Amino acid sequence: MSGGTSSGAGGAAARMDRRTVLKLAGGAALLPAVACSPPREQIVPYVDMPEGLVPGRPRHYATALPLTGYGAPVVVESHQGRPTKVEGNARHPASGGATDAFAQAAVLSLYDPDRARAPVWRGAPGGAGEIRSWDGFLGALEGRRAAWDSTGGAGLRLLTTPVCSPTLAAQIAALLRRYPAARWDVWEPVNDDNALQGAIQAFGRPLQVLPHLAAARCVLALDADPLGPGPQQVALARDFAAARPGGKQPRDGQATARLYAVEAAMSLTGAAADHRLALHPADIPAFAAALAAELGAVPGAGMDAARGAAPQGAHARRFLAAVAEDLRAAGPAALALAGRTQPPEVHALAHCINDRLGAIGRTLSLVEPIRGGPALVAPSIAALAADLAAGQVSDLVILGGNPAYDAPADLRLAAHLPAVPFSIRLSPWADETAMLCRWHLPEHHPLETWSDAQSVDGRIGLVQPLIRPLFDSRSAHELLAALAGDPAATGHDILRAHWRERQGGGPSAFEDWWIAALRDGVLPGMAAIPVRPPAAVPPPAVAQPGTGDRAAPGFALLFRPDPALWDGRFAGNAWLQELPEPFSKLTWGNALQLAPGDAAALALDEGDLARVEADGAVLELPVVHAPGQAGGVAVVHLGHGRRHAGPVGTGRGVDAYPLRRSASPWRRDGVRLSAAGGRQLLARTQSHFRQHGRDIVREIDLAALARMPAGTDSLPASLYPEPPLPPGPQAWGMVIDQSACIGCNACVTACQAENNIPVVGPEEVALGRTMHWLRIDTYLAPPDGAAGGDGAAGGDRPLFQPVPCMQCEKAPCEPVCPVAASVHTQAGLNAQVYNRCVGTRDCQSTCPYQVRRFNFRDYAAGQAYANLGDPLYRAQRNPNVSVRPRGVMEKCTYCVQRISAAGREAEAAGRPLRDGAVVTACQAACPTGAIAFGDLRDPAAEVVRRKALPHNYALLGDLGTRPRTTYLARLRHSNPVLAADRTGGAEREGEG
Amino acid sequence: MSGAAPLPVLRLPPDLARAEALGWLTGTIAGPVLRRPLGRLWWLAVGLSLAGCLLLAVSVAWLFLRGTGIWGLNSSNVWGFAVANYVWWIGIGNAGTLISCLLLLTRQHWRASINRYAETMTLVAAAIAGLFPILHLGRPWLFYWLVPYPNVMDLWPQWRSALVWDLFAIAGYLTFSLLFWYTGLIPDLASLRDRARSRFGRLAYGLFALGWRGAARHWQAHDLFYRAMAALGIPLVISVHSVVGLDFANAIAPGWNESIFPPYFVVGAMYSGFAMVVTLAVPIRRFLGLEALITLRHFDAIGKILVLGSLVMAATYLTEWFTAWYGGATADRQLVAYRLTGGGAAVYWAMLVCNVALAQILWWPRARRSPWTVFAIAGGINIGMWLERVLIVTDSLSRSHLPSQWRDFVPTFWDWALLAGSLSLFAFVMLVLLRFLPAVSMHESRTLLPPAMPPGGRAPAGAVP
Amino acid sequence: MANVFPPGADHLLRGVLILGVGLIAAGIVTIGMLVRSPYATGQGRVVPQPVPFSHLHHVGDVGLDCRYCHGSVETEATAGLPDTATCMTCHSQLFTDAAALAPVRQSLALDRPLRWVRVNDLPDHVYFDHSMHVRNGVGCTTCHGPVGEMALTRQAAPLTMQWCLACHRDPAPHLRPPDAVFAPVAVPSVPPGQAARLMRHYGIRTAGLTDCTVCHR
Repeated sequence: MSGGTSSGAGGAAARMDRRTVLKLAGGAALLPAVACSPPREQIVPYVDMPEGLVPGRPRHYATALPLTGYGAPVVVESHQGRPTKVEGNARHPASGGATDAFAQAAVLSLYDPDRARAPVWRGAPGGAGEIRSWDGFLGALEGRRAAWDSTGGAGLRLLTTPVCSPTLAAQIAALLRRYPAARWDVWEPVNDDNALQGAIQAFGRPLQVLPHLAAARCVLALDADPLGPGPQQVALARDFAAARPGGKQPRDGQATARLYAVEAAMSLTGAAADHRLALHPADIPAFAAALAAELGAVPGAGMDAARGAAPQGAHARRFLAAVAEDLRAAGPAALALAGRTQPPEVHALAHCINDRLGAIGRTLSLVEPIRGGPALVAPSIAALAADLAAGQVSDLVILGGNPAYDAPADLRLAAHLPAVPFSIRLSPWADETAMLCRWHLPEHHPLETWSDAQSVDGRIGLVQPLIRPLFDSRSAHELLAALAGDPAATGHDILRAHWRERQGGGPSAFEDWWIAALRDGVLPGMAAIPVRPPAAVPPPAVAQPGTGDRAAPGFALLFRPDPALWDGRFAGNAWLQELPEPFSKLTWGNALQLAPGDAAALALDEGDLARVEADGAVLELPVVHAPGQAGGVAVVHLGHGRRHAGPVGTGRGVDAYPLRRSASPWRRDGVRLSAAGGRQLLARTQSHFRQHGRDIVREIDLAALARMPAGTDSLPASLYPEPPLPPGPQAWGMVIDQSACIGCNACVTACQAENNIPVVGPEEVALGRTMHWLRIDTYLAPPDGAAGGDGAAGGDRPLFQPVPCMQCEKAPCEPVCPVAASVHTQAGLNAQVYNRCVGTRDCQSTCPYQVRRFNFRDYAAGQAYANLGDPLYRAQRNPNVSVRPRGVMEKCTYCVQRISAAGREAEAAGRPLRDGAVVTACQAACPTGAIAFGDLRDPAAEVVRRKALPHNYALLGDLGTRPRTTYLARLRHSNPVLAADRTGGAEREGEG
Repeated sequence: MSGAAPLPVLRLPPDLARAEALGWLTGTIAGPVLRRPLGRLWWLAVGLSLAGCLLLAVSVAWLFLRGTGIWGLNSSNVWGFAVANYVWWIGIGNAGTLISCLLLLTRQHWRASINRYAETMTLVAAAIAGLFPILHLGRPWLFYWLVPYPNVMDLWPQWRSALVWDLFAIAGYLTFSLLFWYTGLIPDLASLRDRARSRFGRLAYGLFALGWRGAARHWQAHDLFYRAMAALGIPLVISVHSVVGLDFANAIAPGWNESIFPPYFVVGAMYSGFAMVVTLAVPIRRFLGLEALITLRHFDAIGKILVLGSLVMAATYLTEWFTAWYGGATADRQLVAYRLTGGGAAVYWAMLVCNVALAQILWWPRARRSPWTVFAIAGGINIGMWLERVLIVTDSLSRSHLPSQWRDFVPTFWDWALLAGSLSLFAFVMLVLLRFLPAVSMHESRTLLPPAMPPGGRAPAGAVP
Repeated sequence: MANVFPPGADHLLRGVLILGVGLIAAGIVTIGMLVRSPYATGQGRVVPQPVPFSHLHHVGDVGLDCRYCHGSVETEATAGLPDTATCMTCHSQLFTDAAALAPVRQSLALDRPLRWVRVNDLPDHVYFDHSMHVRNGVGCTTCHGPVGEMALTRQAAPLTMQWCLACHRDPAPHLRPPDAVFAPVAVPSVPPGQAARLMRHYGIRTAGLTDCTVCHR
């Protein structure tokens, strides 16, 4: 957008209401249209320009985005009052400037035209409903409050997700004090009940584990996924990367952590592990028990029983021995983590192991539950369901979550909800729960809210609005105040009042504190305080392998949160819907993941519809093969098949919640699988996962690295004298460390947000027309440790390779373009001039990396998918990046707009560009620092340091394209004892 | 060569005096052109082809409306039918010129009775081919940016790009074939002018005859110009398809980056071109009553050329496989393996059968001299060559260097519609041109008459040695 | 049979052919001239504004500095347009009831922004940064023309890519000493010797100035 348009935006943004946002969006919408002979463009200056606001200059505000009861600390970029991009908050230890895909996508959901715009009253739940005013609601509320005052709130129930806002928790507490007969229930589909109950078994009270991966030298993940999606991902992944071989680490193997994973289904942690053992979930407790016994963590009597519990299979036993040996060697630097999907016993055993090794306080600390509300959510929701069934609930207030969709099926919550006479639902979207409540009240989007939030490490940060509410919505604080009889209170006042009370001190002191808190986004020194519990007590009984449920016939169906949609709350977000699942690369839906062996046995090919049957309940969904998954196990992701999630989210994939039981929320045994007949076209972005003997993802053993001379990746011979670097002001380059990449997809979403990359929709994805400039390729490494030949073999480990444009110095795409739309810049960028492109597509046909993306349809405007053409969405677009029309080739530019901005800033300040002055969107988002970008001329630059490392190599370097983007080979810190198995497996690499 | 008795190029009716012979010859050729009414069969054919042209119009309109997304393209297979059709049509557009120029300069007299309609075919095919690169563009209305002209953007085409060379090659080739075809036509237009009954006919033919009076001066200038053009034509026709080959060869996709491509494409073009010439020869001689002029001798000769062509094609395929193996690049080797055994292997084998195996039947003289056999085989070759173009375009792109980007190309209805439409357009234009212009060059076919033919005497059997 | 063509037909035909060729050539030349003409480029165009603002008066007569109204020109991509309040700093005292200024007063009263019509309008795929240009000695009037002499603001330059490139290829002749950058009237171009000195003074590297990404992203 040319500068003037921005100033126009500035003027409008000064008084931001819905109408102006739409006007604004209209202006932005003209981006592609007005390329030639525009209608005379207008300039709309302010009437009275606000102090300090400079048209055309983005501003950044620190805030937090809540996810399952934790606030992700972020800094949001805003152009003339339009939030356009989310970055991590570098001042917050839990972020360090990085984000996950969820945070990146938050800015899109803000502008979702499907958001609720006004209060709705439903005479008949499920019915259409009538639009009402807030006053109308408050009037109705008055009557109820009178009743509560008389009864002390009997029949009043408050249902929330675990609360991350201390202020909100305090408000609720106050409400409960006022209405003692009322009760606060909590539900979270992806909960940590198992972990807390495990802590209760081990320590007698619910304690929460905060791992310190950086301090660990040997980590064992018992079906735990610390690197997987979720609120903890960013913090733990950063922590973990610090302990891994790669960019920052010394070259000797000692200093680097070794990661073991024992799990049923492939997880990001399992993919990152040096050694992974695929076990049936029913065998994992036995494994844990045997390991605990091996390490002497289970005293006396339990010992022999546990020893006997060793898993079957030669390889599994050898694996167990190796892990035990390694853990023992690491001592206090060891860490055993149990996953939320494992029964409490396993958590208790993990505590015993850590306690025995003296790891508690070193590689992990135990803290009181950080989130507000009842610690255990399953009993809480069960109690509410019971009350509902008994008809004891007269008034129900549901804040956040979506219980009607994701509560355990056996509680039949959705069936009981409509019976509640006065039910209030506060949520930004009219979801399944809202449909069943009398009142649906529109809630602020987090980016419109005043609040506060605790992050995963217990630190508290303030949440401040980036934009005036687009619609007639309120925040949870304001609703709580209304329930307490103060409907006039604004979120801002409530928040300030709460903290003024907590802070004390004089007004001016508080103001300083307040300003600092808003600026930093994190309050000083407020991390969760570790507690030192008594010695861990081992669990009473240890499940024997092959006993109990394992003996049950049929498959064990495992439920996992979706890496992109989480528990379903993000189903309405098109960026996340189109975000490829890390392993199957499936978008816009879920599938039944089966180990290739099982799938073959059932004659289920990829895309075949499978029928999943568990006493009565039936699902039909397509099959994808999941290499490395344990036998006898089927995995399905939750969060799909939403019934009320707008044009983008409704009816995508299959809802697996109906099969979920409160008794065992993560696993359903005795499930019958059969072919349902028929196939479904899978919308996946990649369908070939073998490397076919090509040198694509290099993997080197850490021990071997030490023997490698530096600079082994020499340039291919050339007939011409080749200067090391062509002349120019800078020479931009990038190095991607494949050891650090955990495949979390944050970079992909960040790139999409930064570069106005359109969503194409499932049909186009299925046709192979994804637009992501930066993709993450997944390849399968040779089978690992299958020498034992038993089903428990580790299987094929996925290797992740982020592939942006390689910015080749000898770019094949440049000489073939007939109109010079693909050209080289002085700084070595391989630039693409959208407005010059006529769309011969010759550049992509000759690009060996096939990283260019062509607008086959007018994805950005005329032929946008679902409601994505809505003008409101256009307010999100980055004004510094052209929106590309149909028929034009586009590609990764190393975020040239950021390079240019940084360059101009440096010149204005009269100083040269320092290393780190330019940070690409992908680099900024990456939690593990896998991506380094900088000037190859700057000897001090991190990118230069990495290029000199012995395991730096160019992808397809032998083609002579001389890419500026190179890779660090994936380093594997393998255990010599188990390495033998790997070589045994390596011989059997087949063509997939 | 076969041991059979040499076939006559011309089958003159017996008892034909030289004086009459000339008249008879011109009459035979001009007859169908001037005959009225046009005939039910012709109208039927025109109607059918027009329907096909309508399909073309619709699919082009839809293309401009919705963009190239209506085709089966994807991020890996960014090229599809449009490019394949282009290469195929331009190939067909080669034969006419080869026949006219090469055979003219090598004094193959028998060419005289087939060169005219071959040139017509060339012209139409090349013109249709020229459409595809434009339709193929993402923003076709900007195709003129490939043309070097001083503009207010101070931008010029990117001269290293083979696509720019393509533009010049096609434009040049089109201009040449038009001029060459028209020059050859002038004397015949004159004779049509003189024979036309209607005043309009005389006017129309006369206008384009440019006042040709058959004076010695005219013939001298014509002959000089015609031969000069012929000499120019040969390098041109070679260059055109070499450049098309370079479109692919300069990309580093496996299976494209081969130095053999330019000659490979030229031979392929000649091969498919000659095949199309025979394909057309059969209906033309049948429906225009030209059996006397387009004789078994021609089928025999072209049959031999096809055999030769098939052998060269076989050689190029073998070379491709060999270099893939000998070069040792994994991607190249696996591409060949994929072609021979992979998902699309059936198509590849069909292509091999059509382009190599089929033509071997023509070693057998009796096959060469049975028009319908040659017709069938040539048809097979046409299909085979089209398959080859499609496979060249899609195989390399769908099995390139990074397996993560391996995707298959699946043509949509609109892909097929465009192909069918272009074929119909070809048929329609050919029907019109052959109906109103002589399908055989009158003045050149006269050279086929026996040199020494005593007035009133009989024509010796087997006219031209 | 009767001759269908008159004797002179040949000459006629030749004439027609020559004429045809001539016409085609003429057509091409015409188009070429048209796209460069002010009609196409908008050079010299004056567009109607809500208020007939006169730079001639404010800058030429009153002597306001460009930066008084276009405040962010030295620091931002956009030069910035004055808010209504800025106008009213003077016009709350001067011409308080001038009919021409009614829209300005209204804007303040109704808190509704003025809607000026853009005079110098670059295509939206062009990213132009005012601050970079003035910082490097490109004067306001170098592109905007002698604004101080414009009663009604007009587009002074063709604003074609050609025009941009001419300067990006060889900036020297277009540079000014720092004190002349904000001169509201056309200043004589500096002699070559001084131009070279200015290039050094501003530290301008022409290498990379014509990279596409300088203006297109």
